[in-house]
Order: sequence, then C-alpha cells, then structure tokens
Amino acid sequence: MLLRRRHGTASRDKHKVSPIAPVLLFQTVFFVAPIGILFVYSFWRMQDFRLITEFSFHNYREMANNPLLIKAFFLSLRVALVVTVVCAVLAFPIAYFISKKAGRWKVACLVAVIIPFWTSFVLRAYAWKLLLGERGVINTGLVSTGIIEAPLSYLLYSPFATAIGLIYGFLPFMVMPIYTSLEKVKDSWIDAAADLGASPARATWEVTLPLCIPGLVVGCVFTFIFALGEYVIPAMLGGGKDLLMAQAIVLEFELSQNWPGGAAISVVLLAIVFAVVAAVLRWVKMEEVL
Amino acid sequence: MIGAERKAGRSGWALGFYTALIYGFFYLPIVTLILFAFDAKEVPGLPLKDLTLGWFAAALSDRQLLAALSTSVWVALLSASLAVLLAMPAALALAWVRLPAKPAILGFIIAPMVVPHLVLGLGLLLLFRPVPGILGVAGVVIAHTTLNLCYATMILYSHLLGFQRSLVEAARDLGASEIRMFWEVVLPLSAPAILAAFLMSFTLSFGEFVAAWFVAGFERTLPIEIWAWLRHILSPKINAIATVIVAVSVAMTILAQLWILRRRNGARGGAA
Repeated sequence: MLLRRRHGTASRDKHKVSPIAPVLLFQTVFFVAPIGILFVYSFWRMQDFRLITEFSFHNYREMANNPLLIKAFFLSLRVALVVTVVCAVLAFPIAYFISKKAGRWKVACLVAVIIPFWTSFVLRAYAWKLLLGERGVINTGLVSTGIIEAPLSYLLYSPFATAIGLIYGFLPFMVMPIYTSLEKVKDSWIDAAADLGASPARATWEVTLPLCIPGLVVGCVFTFIFALGEYVIPAMLGGGKDLLMAQAIVLEFELSQNWPGGAAISVVLLAIVFAVVAAVLRWVKMEEVL
Repeated sequence: MIGAERKAGRSGWALGFYTALIYGFFYLPIVTLILFAFDAKEVPGLPLKDLTLGWFAAALSDRQLLAALSTSVWVALLSASLAVLLAMPAALALAWVRLPAKPAILGFIIAPMVVPHLVLGLGLLLLFRPVPGILGVAGVVIAHTTLNLCYATMILYSHLLGFQRSLVEAARDLGASEIRMFWEVVLPLSAPAILAAFLMSFTLSFGEFVAAWFVAGFERTLPIEIWAWLRHILSPKINAIATVIVAVSVAMTILAQLWILRRRNGARGGAA
C-alpha cells in the first residue's frame, strides 16, 4: 500500500507540473515581458520626437539632474511613509476590536471594512473631492457651524488631501493582515498575562502587539508600496503643484511623449518596491503571513 | 480586581467609540457620493434642499455612460473568468502536489501584487503597440487578468490547502477517474472558493482605472469614462451611476456571503 502510494505520487508529480504551465506562460508574456520592455526603453532616448535605440544612461542622468523629479521622488517617499505609519496606528485598534470584542458581529464588521474597497478608486477620490473642496461638505459644515470663518483652502489639492485619500484607500490593507495575526493570539494568553498582574494596557503592549508583528509588517509593506505607486488619488486630490512619482511618470508619457524618460522613472519606482519587498522577506517568512 | 474590571470596561467603551469613528471615516465618502445623487442642483454641494430622482433617469439614459458600463461589465466578466480558469489548475497543483521550487513559483505568481498598476499598464502599452487590434477591450482584459491572477490563485490555493483530502482518497478508492473525481468531488466542494475568487477578480477589474487607461485605445471602461468627465465637469449623473454600482455590489456581497454560509451549514448538516 505504502509502496504503491509512493510510486503513485512520484508518477503523478511528473505530469502534474503542467497545470501550472498556463499561469506561468501567461505571466511571462504579460507581466515579465512588459516590465522587461520598460527596462529596455529606459536605456533608450528620444531625440527630435524619434526613438533612438542606443544604449545609454541618458535618462537616469537627466533624472538625477532634474530638481523637480528629485522633489517628486522625496515627496512620494515622505507621503508613503506618513500614510503607512498613520494607517498602522489607526488600524491596530480596529483589528483588535473586530478580533477580540466584536463577538457575533465579527463577520459583519470584517465585511464592512472591505465593502468601501469594492468601489472604484476613481469614485472614492471623487467623493473626497466633494468632501474636501472649498465649497465641499467639510468646509461648508465648519463655516456654517461657526467653527471657522473662511473655508480652508489647503484641504483639497495639496499633499494633505493626497495623504487623506491614500489613508482612506489603503486602511483596509492594514486592518486585514493585523486582524489575521490577532486571530492567532489566543484569548487565554492575554488572560494569563492579566492573571499574572499585567494591566490591560501592559498585556496589549507586551503580549498582543509583539505577536502581531508579522501582520503589521505585511500591512505596512503593502500600504507603503501601494501608496508609493498610486496615481489616481494624487492626480485627483493633490493638485498640479506638488507632483508625486506616479504623476511624473504619466506626465513624461502623456505630455512630453518622452517614453524612455517615463520608463526610467518607472524602473526606479519598481526598484524601490522590490528592494522593500526583498528586505522584508529576509526576516519575515512568507508562510507566517499568508 | 473590581477596579481592574471597571477600567477594562471604560477602555472597552473607548475602543468601541474609536471603532465607530473609523467606520464613520470609511463610510463618509460613500454616503456623500450617494447623497448628492439625489441633489437637484447641477453642481453637487451643500446644503441639500431639493431632492430628485432625475439624475438616475439622466444617467441611465446617457448613451456614453451606458456604453462604458457595458464595456466594463464585459471586461470584468472575461478577465475574472480567465483568471479563475488559469488559477484553478495552478492552485490544485501547488496545494496538492509536491513541486520542485514551490516557494519560487508562489513568489512569481504573487509578484504582480506589488507592481504598481501604472507601471504594468505602461509596460503592456509598449508591448501591445506593435500588435494591431489588441489595444482596446482585448488589451484591458489581458491587463486585468494579469492583475487578478495572483488574487485568484491565492484564494483557491488557500482553500485547497484546507480541503479534506480524505474525500478525494475515498473517491479514488471507489474507482473514480481523475477527471470524474475533479468534476464530482473537487469542483462542487470548491464552489464557494471559486465564487469568491471570481467575485474578487470581477470587482477589481470593474473598478480598475490606471492600467486600463493605458491599454484601452479608443475604448472606454466606466472608470475611464468617469475620469474623463471629472476632468471637465462635476455632474450628479456620476453620483447616480456610482450609487447604482454601490447598491449592486453591496447586494452581491451580501448574497454571496449568504450563499456561502448556507452551503457551509448545509454541508455540516449533511455530514451530521
């Protein structure tokens, strides 16, 4: 029996490799190839509206010498970092509430976190425009209740608005993995800490929080990466003054028709993304978090 | 001890209040979006005085919006089906067969998750440009399938990891062929996970903008159409169509959840 089974799996192993082939093929053609082409383009350049297919570091040199791009680069990193930290701080208590306090409403609470995420980013960004504009809901509300005298103009078309939109968009990505981690923390462990005389705050700080670190890390990585590469929200809420990287890429492609230049910025963006992922994978095992 | 409990009670209230605030934050934009669909003014804004259903009629008789809506539905249906069809065999093999280099394969499949949609869209545009006829619906379907594959595969993979293998063994011991086993045992028991993967893919595709924007050619999906409108005008028609979409997707979520719960309970009742 044992022998037959072992033999059976061995022979199945051979022809079961093929079910993965379609996915691998599809992904090679429509994921690896496009990024490869982008990479190649980034070493070409435009001259008099013609593509020069000669290898050079021209675009990368241009990028390093363009103060606007450097500014966009650092602003993107800063915005993504702030958004990540704010999301982590905001998400932990909610994830805790859903996992430990929601009782039979747990599933409903979880679904309620995900539902907004099912509406297109374009529509959600538009909704924030309605809220934050000078004649928007928030300003009108604040003025009519007398809290402020004149509408706040910096609410919309500013890095502040971009950050609000990004926090709103990516908070579910932070809540879900932290929740998954919290589900693995047994109530009895927290009770044990309490029985040993730890205050609820201390039990949270010294027992629950450290055990949530894998979920927290995954949430932070995704939030940071998504915030860094997001286009719709900065384009709709950020205004035209303080550009982010994604906007700079689109400007190169659409407005300047400088495809190699846009490709080079994309490659830099991708390099950051992969560096972050690689750094994190070094000390968090994938199995722990999926 | 009593003191500690009272303290826990108070912090419990604070936590509950805080959670309610965050849920308020989650739903404020959506409620705003919906409220202004009923506002009679041409440009949405406070105060809400005269209410009307006129914008719904206007949106649902707007040829451009309807065309974009139907394009989006088609694209989402096709890309979600394609993603599930490609993902299912891969998930089966990953979950049940000892594969060489499995972590590497998993990593490769998940990789698109971290790549910005903008970057993938640009790459696909450069890839498709020399191929006639592909920029358009076909291009968007391919782009969205690429984006959906990782999610669909992971949903199905984690379902199959937890699958009761004894049922498969039983079917095999009873002499079922591999194909029959798949159709009569694996597929029916995986239906909730397949539905979840399909709905997730459909929703992502239906709302996706950036990648589609680059490869759509002269076609317009609904997010592209709305984006184009928002550049020029703020019209409550957009709010009306958004309200319809939100209503439909919430209804679909609830129906799917109920169906999955009922099936799960039914399976448990059948086993008992």
